[in-house]
Amino acid sequence: MLGKIKAKSAHNDSLRMLMGKYGIGIVLLIMMVVIGIMEPAFATSNNFINVATQVAINGMISYGMCLAITTGGIDLAVGAQLALTSCVLGVTITNSGMNVWVSCFIALLVATLFGLLNGVLIAKFNMFPFVVTLSTQLIIRGLSQVISGGKAISLTSDVFKNIYSGKFLGMPIPIVILIIITIIMYLLLHWTKFGRYVFAVGGNVNAAIASGVSEFWTKVGVYTVSGFLAGVAAIIFTAKTGSAQSNIGIGYETDAVAACVLGGTSFAGGIATIPGVLMGIFIIGFIYNGMNLIGVSSYYQSIVKGCVIIGAVLLDMVMNKRNR
Amino acid sequence: MIIMMKKVLAIALAMTMTFGLVACGNSKTEPATPAETTTEETTTEEATTEETTTEETTAEEATQQAAAGADVNGDGKVIVGYISKNLTDPFHAPINEYAEKTLNQMKSDGTIDDWTGILDGETDPNKQIDRADECITKGCDAVIILPAESEASDPAVTKLADAGINVIVVNSKTVSTDERAIAYCGSNDVEAGKMLGEWVVKNVPDGGKYIHCTGILGNSAQIDRGQGIAEVMSAHPEFELVGEPDTQWSGDKAANATTDAIAQYGDELVAVICDNDDMSSAAQRAANDAGRSDIVCVGVDGNQNPLQMVKDGDLGATVLQDGVGQVAAGIDVITALINGEEFDSAPVIPFVLVTKDNVDEYLN
Repeated sequence: MLGKIKAKSAHNDSLRMLMGKYGIGIVLLIMMVVIGIMEPAFATSNNFINVATQVAINGMISYGMCLAITTGGIDLAVGAQLALTSCVLGVTITNSGMNVWVSCFIALLVATLFGLLNGVLIAKFNMFPFVVTLSTQLIIRGLSQVISGGKAISLTSDVFKNIYSGKFLGMPIPIVILIIITIIMYLLLHWTKFGRYVFAVGGNVNAAIASGVSEFWTKVGVYTVSGFLAGVAAIIFTAKTGSAQSNIGIGYETDAVAACVLGGTSFAGGIATIPGVLMGIFIIGFIYNGMNLIGVSSYYQSIVKGCVIIGAVLLDMVMNKRNR
Repeated sequence: MIIMMKKVLAIALAMTMTFGLVACGNSKTEPATPAETTTEETTTEEATTEETTTEETTAEEATQQAAAGADVNGDGKVIVGYISKNLTDPFHAPINEYAEKTLNQMKSDGTIDDWTGILDGETDPNKQIDRADECITKGCDAVIILPAESEASDPAVTKLADAGINVIVVNSKTVSTDERAIAYCGSNDVEAGKMLGEWVVKNVPDGGKYIHCTGILGNSAQIDRGQGIAEVMSAHPEFELVGEPDTQWSGDKAANATTDAIAQYGDELVAVICDNDDMSSAAQRAANDAGRSDIVCVGVDGNQNPLQMVKDGDLGATVLQDGVGQVAAGIDVITALINGEEFDSAPVIPFVLVTKDNVDEYLN
């Protein structure tokens, strides 16, 4: 009898926790309904497909950023990683005439290696992630200028451009990539040992070390994954614009951080959910898309964006507090 | 067990988020309110026009089709889109301001039914392509775009053209502007380069050594202006080019290059020709500070700071690129479309040499 009641209340608690965790979803829904009423063109399948395709780039970066923030760090190098990967693609495909897939592989490898470098610098020498990635982004952007000569390299290969404009099972490929990466990231963070280590290192690093978690490998892993995902984002980006240049991706880390924070990722470390971040990514996408469709003047858009982020995070915190 | 369920629930939520967005859009359009049906119609029509427009790629044919009326998607409304290059550049601020004022005026007097407002391109081709998507969604019939990059912003132009929209490219060209846009309203940068050269030749009749501070290499404005400068200066053997520092449109770098050149060549240095006037004003200031106000510095754009220096007598002249004139020509094309009139598909907006005599006209 007692056991039954206990089980029931535990069930209620977990349901409430779920509500608290994904309360941001309600914000997203309200936003979609409001924009949909104000501008009917918003609620069309075409527009939703557009937005989902558009957010794929920020999505990749945000997942990496989410891992970094969860370990109590940050990855400011992602914007520069976009530029470097893009230039590697340009140089290998256009200048050296390599096979598209080989050069995508090389580009991803380069991005992953620089992620690894970030991770080693941060974990091995215990430097602040902010400082490390702030410096490496300069190095990475500089390198991209060196290999491209500061010029735009045009990519005319249809096979490559198809990565953005092509369709798989009727869905644009960036959406397919977003879905696949979302599932992988979900499994990685919430189902694997590595994921639990990420939370442990971010939550209480001393306790984590005491219980045998390798702080070094966890952090190295996190920044490596972030580098890899920035590489994926760069491939989508470059296929979209059909041009490789070293001046792209400036300021892209801010949208990624915003998506993470909206998705309930705590800057104190140790708290994050992938579905939350996914919703954050879509909120950022809908803010841009919705305001443009309604016709909010661009001069006010960044103000609205800032207010929505603060408002959503506040709402999330209030809901979480009540649920605790 | 509960944890398992939570995880399953969470993953289900994540999945429905991504899939649902694609799927629910379809179901949502079914309870057809009048407004929604029109957008549905536009989208289907877009699909059909996409096939037809690939055949009529030449500009003339596109013009003929446009002359049939400004309402290309047949929804009974004329909606104009405006994709800016950015909202922060001092050169683009007056352009955007003029477009906003004029299009608002056109909306209130009923010439057009609606416009998108100034869409922020953030000098980012990726964002400009996203804005193009939104123009298509909003059912725009004509879109004015100021490209951020000639190559990377091109998908925005082709995307709009594929959707059957009349694209008017303003200020700088993208690679397929000639084939896909109905009009290009810009200026001839070679002309500007020639004006720079002529100003120097006129003001330093004896000739001497000069340096040329370049914009970001490979940029079309940099290439064309450089060509114009070279054309004029090569005809004057009394001038000798002693350096082409890669100053990347940056005033700071041009100022450094100028002080370096003064140190190296001393009195022999007579002029600094710059690809833009952020650089020429900074170069002139550096020269004046070094006690060499006799050095002639000149550049292109007509930004407020150099204009102020011209007024104050610190800078001899600057070559104004009439950005407002360019966008005005773009809006004229739209008006012509609406009235079914003929229009010039490539109006060239002349540069203006601004000196102390006419600076008040352009200084705000």
